[in-house]
Amino acid sequence: MLTQQLTKAPKETAAGEPVIAIHDLHYRYRGAKKYALDGINLEVPKGTFLFVMGPSEAGKSTLAATFNGLIPHYHKGKFVGDVIVMGRNTRQQTVAQLAEQVGMVFQDFEAQLFSTNVELEVAFGPENYAVPREEIRKRIDECLRLVGLEEVRHRSPSTLSGGQKQKLAIASVLAMHTPILVMDEPTTDLDPISKVGIFEIANQLKERAENTLVIVEHETEEALNADQLLMLKEGQIFKLGPARELLRDVRLFEELGVMPLPIPKYFQAMGVADPPLTVEEGVRRFQAQGWRFSEEKHNQLVMQDAERAQNTGQTLIHCEELELVYPNGFKALHGVSLDIHRGEMVAILGQNGSGKTTLVKHFNGLLYPTAGKIEVDGHPTREQGIFQLGKKVGYVFQNPDHQIFSDTVFDEVAYTLRLRKQPEEMIKKAVAEALEAVDLAGFEKEDPFSLTKSGRQRVAVAAVLAAQPEIVILDEPTTGLDYAEQRSMMDLVKELNRRGNTIIFVTHHMWVVAEYAQRVFVIKDGKVYLEGTTREVFSHEDELREAYLRPPHLVSFSNRFGKTMLTLDELVGCTEKGS
Amino acid sequence: MDSEIYMDLDTVIHRLDPRTKIFMLAVFFVLILYFQNPLWVLPISLVIVLLGVISRSLVNLKRIAYIMVILTISGMVMWTLFSSGKTTLFWIIKLEAVEYAASRTLVMLSLITTGIIFLSTTRNEEFIIGMIKFGLPYRVGFAISTALRLVPTLVASVSIIGQAQRSRGLDLDSGNIIQRVRKFVPLLIPVFISTIRSTNIFGMALESKGFGARPDRTFYLDPRMQTRDYITIAILVALFAAVTVIKIQGYGNIPGLVRF
Repeated sequence: MLTQQLTKAPKETAAGEPVIAIHDLHYRYRGAKKYALDGINLEVPKGTFLFVMGPSEAGKSTLAATFNGLIPHYHKGKFVGDVIVMGRNTRQQTVAQLAEQVGMVFQDFEAQLFSTNVELEVAFGPENYAVPREEIRKRIDECLRLVGLEEVRHRSPSTLSGGQKQKLAIASVLAMHTPILVMDEPTTDLDPISKVGIFEIANQLKERAENTLVIVEHETEEALNADQLLMLKEGQIFKLGPARELLRDVRLFEELGVMPLPIPKYFQAMGVADPPLTVEEGVRRFQAQGWRFSEEKHNQLVMQDAERAQNTGQTLIHCEELELVYPNGFKALHGVSLDIHRGEMVAILGQNGSGKTTLVKHFNGLLYPTAGKIEVDGHPTREQGIFQLGKKVGYVFQNPDHQIFSDTVFDEVAYTLRLRKQPEEMIKKAVAEALEAVDLAGFEKEDPFSLTKSGRQRVAVAAVLAAQPEIVILDEPTTGLDYAEQRSMMDLVKELNRRGNTIIFVTHHMWVVAEYAQRVFVIKDGKVYLEGTTREVFSHEDELREAYLRPPHLVSFSNRFGKTMLTLDELVGCTEKGS
Repeated sequence: MDSEIYMDLDTVIHRLDPRTKIFMLAVFFVLILYFQNPLWVLPISLVIVLLGVISRSLVNLKRIAYIMVILTISGMVMWTLFSSGKTTLFWIIKLEAVEYAASRTLVMLSLITTGIIFLSTTRNEEFIIGMIKFGLPYRVGFAISTALRLVPTLVASVSIIGQAQRSRGLDLDSGNIIQRVRKFVPLLIPVFISTIRSTNIFGMALESKGFGARPDRTFYLDPRMQTRDYITIAILVALFAAVTVIKIQGYGNIPGLVRF
């Protein structure tokens, strides 16, 4: 059983005195009814790498914002209790004073960069603290070297890739030489390999004994390198303990609503009491146990894939040597050829900036190719135009806040139908069905802006569904949602597919691809780099790495035995516990 | 994609001290307004274009070519109609009015070109440090640079939100005036909300990097006046003096022009 030790912080950590100490902290945002933080007691010893996890609205970012005084100074609200950073109470300090002790990196890498040149971006923090020019020059060299951006030091941040921008944001904070570094979901918008890049930097920082590192993250796989894992739920500490110890406890994660590590989950499902954590450890344990994967059952899976591929309908989207050159001369697509069939569920993957979003924007006529051919439902998109195509192709944008504007959920969902001048009776029926599908029935009168991110995402999906398109395109439908929300969003999408919609989704979440996609296109440098069934594509791990992708742990694990399995059920089903 | 105006090149103009460039901007802004007669305005415009060629920044004009064409047409029409003279060209159109319209349009285009050349050759930070060296408080300078920074961000978010709503069937190009205005609601609300949101993060990031922590701050950029700056300023002063003398002598007017 779990030993419940809910509010007690560990005292015995060897590294030294706490750099952050929190006593009985309660905090409520102005205008909110509920406390975002509800009785937090925590001590972070010097030199710790603390990983913070929890479902949406658990108070993770709120907690992070108390470390450098953004709460209570920038976000006013009801603040009870004390936060002591480096021996000083944050109440009596300004954010600017605290910023000398605590560096802060945010999720949104666009909004936190504001210089026109990489070097100047890094210089900004030290400049504010009147660091001499020569010293700033040294720090720029040092920090850019650490994050690996020396080669782009004279470029403008706006020309960098997403991963590079986030690295720059980290460098610009490192340059302030703060003893504590806090990163609030630094990798949420990044492709898998860029994520790894950020965590490599984190591990390098961890090696420096004087640095204390706090990272708020959704990616459980990255918690492996942390010293301590803090699990938050509804503003309270759910569990705090050594990371590797907690990671073994799959049930704990499921209770919290956060994705458990897949390898221990598999071994636990197979009845192992002290499961291994990583792919490497898993492989060794698997061999030590004398288990093997059934050739026959794996072949069955491959056969099923092939069967499904044969049963798909006729071609719905057909691209031939598609090219796109933006007006500024940037060539985003270098000849993409692909076919998507009726009734398929297709994932489009690729690095930040690989051209995947540019590609899908051709499918509903937002963009027309500058060379090559694209046909939807047998006709070139240019002939159909965006408004005609809009009736067949629904497009859910990445950020629901880029489209929501109505006062009520009903109006928002009815918007497209009203534009098409449908009779009010029919609109009512279609909206009711769409809200039913996204599990928001009964919310018609609500203000969409009062919903959570996941709720707004659902409204955006419902708004597209109400127009009854045959093809639904979703651009990163799971970004910014927690594990439970991601699952329910993708279950919803899968249900649409089962009812006959053709689904195309763009994503960075590899486990979502493994569990939900039937076919995969990997886009690299504006071309189709890999294509095939999900199983085929995920078996090419080296090529995927070239495209800045990597399969989830579970798939990597099975790949090590020469067979590609996509889900826990498949893995468990194929395992044979030798005689 | 690439919404910045600044061009990272290494030309004579780029290498000038920001103070010299600000002075140059001011001199041309004044000189171009001196004369009524387009033939007198033209040489100054040509000098400006020459500066554009040297700094290789005229390509940036392409991005606003559409606006410049509209300004040219409407400028020619308006000033021709709203001024008069004594020599009738045809119908009610007077020669003096056409001349005047041509010169005003030329002035307008020259002002835009001067501004574009300045922004193409001067980093935001250089402009601010230049202004600070002229005595502007740092916070005011930073506010100006933030406002300049906001423009490309806004353009980018309007573009993506426009795409999102067009995908949902919003057609901005049809209907009468009132209908069209109402159609902007689905654009404006998300633009406001996303701008407020990103401004909020921007504010947090600024505070977290210690903005305004010390009364004195270091400026990493340290522009120094070089010989080329003094030469440029000397030429500018001479040019300014010469043209001003010509203006005082009364040259460059259009005799018989009547302005309403």
